[in-house]
Amino acid sequence: MSEHVDTETREGVTVIELRRPDRRNALTPDMLRAFEHAVRTFAAQASTRAVLVRGEGPCFCAGFDLSLCEHDAARVVLAELLQGLSACARAMRECPAPVVLCAHGAAIAGGCALLGGADIVVADANAKLGYPVVTLGISPAVSAPFLARSVAHGAARARLLHPKLITGADAHAIGLVHELTDTPQQACSTAADIARTLAAKPPTALRATKAWLNELTPTGDADAGLAASLALVGGDEERELLARAWAKK
Amino acid sequence: MTTELATLDVQGRIARLTLNRPEARNALSIDLLSALRAHVEHLHTLSGEKDSPTVVVVTGAGKSFCAGMDLKAVLGDPAAPPKLLGSLAELCLRLRALPMVLVARVNGAAIGGGCGLTCVCDLSVTHADAKLGYPEVDLGVCPAVVAPWLVRKIGPGRARAVLLRGGVMSGRDAAAIGLVDEAVPWADDLDAAVDKIAARLAEAGPKALAATKGLLNTLDASLDEAMSRQGAELSAGVLADPDVRSGLAKRFK
Repeated sequence: MSEHVDTETREGVTVIELRRPDRRNALTPDMLRAFEHAVRTFAAQASTRAVLVRGEGPCFCAGFDLSLCEHDAARVVLAELLQGLSACARAMRECPAPVVLCAHGAAIAGGCALLGGADIVVADANAKLGYPVVTLGISPAVSAPFLARSVAHGAARARLLHPKLITGADAHAIGLVHELTDTPQQACSTAADIARTLAAKPPTALRATKAWLNELTPTGDADAGLAASLALVGGDEERELLARAWAKK
Repeated sequence: MTTELATLDVQGRIARLTLNRPEARNALSIDLLSALRAHVEHLHTLSGEKDSPTVVVVTGAGKSFCAGMDLKAVLGDPAAPPKLLGSLAELCLRLRALPMVLVARVNGAAIGGGCGLTCVCDLSVTHADAKLGYPEVDLGVCPAVVAPWLVRKIGPGRARAVLLRGGVMSGRDAAAIGLVDEAVPWADDLDAAVDKIAARLAEAGPKALAATKGLLNTLDASLDEAMSRQGAELSAGVLADPDVRSGLAKRFK
């Protein structure tokens, strides 16, 4: 489905890896479809005790590959990216096994949005995280339902409205990151260790606990968030701001 | 003469509710829960009376705050776990409904259901080396009764990470994620810190405290009985699984 998403299950851990390191794992609609498919099929198998989501190369994910939208006047691709992102966050949340995500180096915009679907996020202290898409006329509303069930509402508001990147250490302080390491390499090994540890725990209790947490903090407004982001796609403001960004390149 | 499993001592505005089963690290048995419940109901009857307490310090006798549910005692009887979990769920609701401000004096280990009790309190203080956490998933048990209280205390994202990872953490780490409100550096400093908070609260307006607490309980749906019951049933359901029970029995050997 996509050469840029790789899935492998070993000893109870299903690893889903973004593999487009030359583009900092920038997301395409195909990658998001492959990612969702991997979570919904491989990761949901009974043999999967834990899921590890990671990216190849120096960082987890730089966000959407917006270069795909430059010659797409109808903005079909951007709409597909937003839909794919929402579907991936939901798939991780609905996955019966716990999902560990390694946000090493950077997790920006759509990349940071993936964190909202994961159960446990690991990052290094200097990683760059955030949702700076309002500067492009794009609304990160699609992420709001998930971010609001991760950090306090005040912090979610600040992160979605203020187009600033924060460090892994700052993200840890607000609870967006749960385990902090000094270096990106340590983040990768720590995330793998956590996934292996989870895979060794009794699966019935772990799955029941995750399902109960999903019930306690439902994301029933995920559709509304996606709709709010989609409503701006192709609008004047977004066209102008995106054109300005491409002109600067 | 039998020792009381829980004691209540009222001194003016400040009451002290103590789990008193130190030989079992204050593990929550059905009897201990009912002893606590009786004291909580008594506190309810005091509320509204002139000069009634406005602060309740909740603590454990001996070295531990509370080692959690006494699962070992209920493994042999299939009817016991639902009763034990149901009692804890109800106790949590009745504790939270008290108009007094509850201050957990976490003198030592607060594990599983014991850590849950600290989250039901409005404030909690511990020392840096105390052990707190939820190792339920490590034992194959589902922490469904305490989960809603942890979500209210530290937010849904951190609660997810804490409950799914299991294990325990230090008082210092607990303070860093908001699981406790303060961790004093040394155990010897705990009483001074707790007494200071209690004394301060004892001077505050009882009506203002009760109204504020009541509103906060409404805002976070603290008194949702259906959710609480569902949590107890879910947790008991996992404990009814023969594999889970045999796994626990092996652990307790």
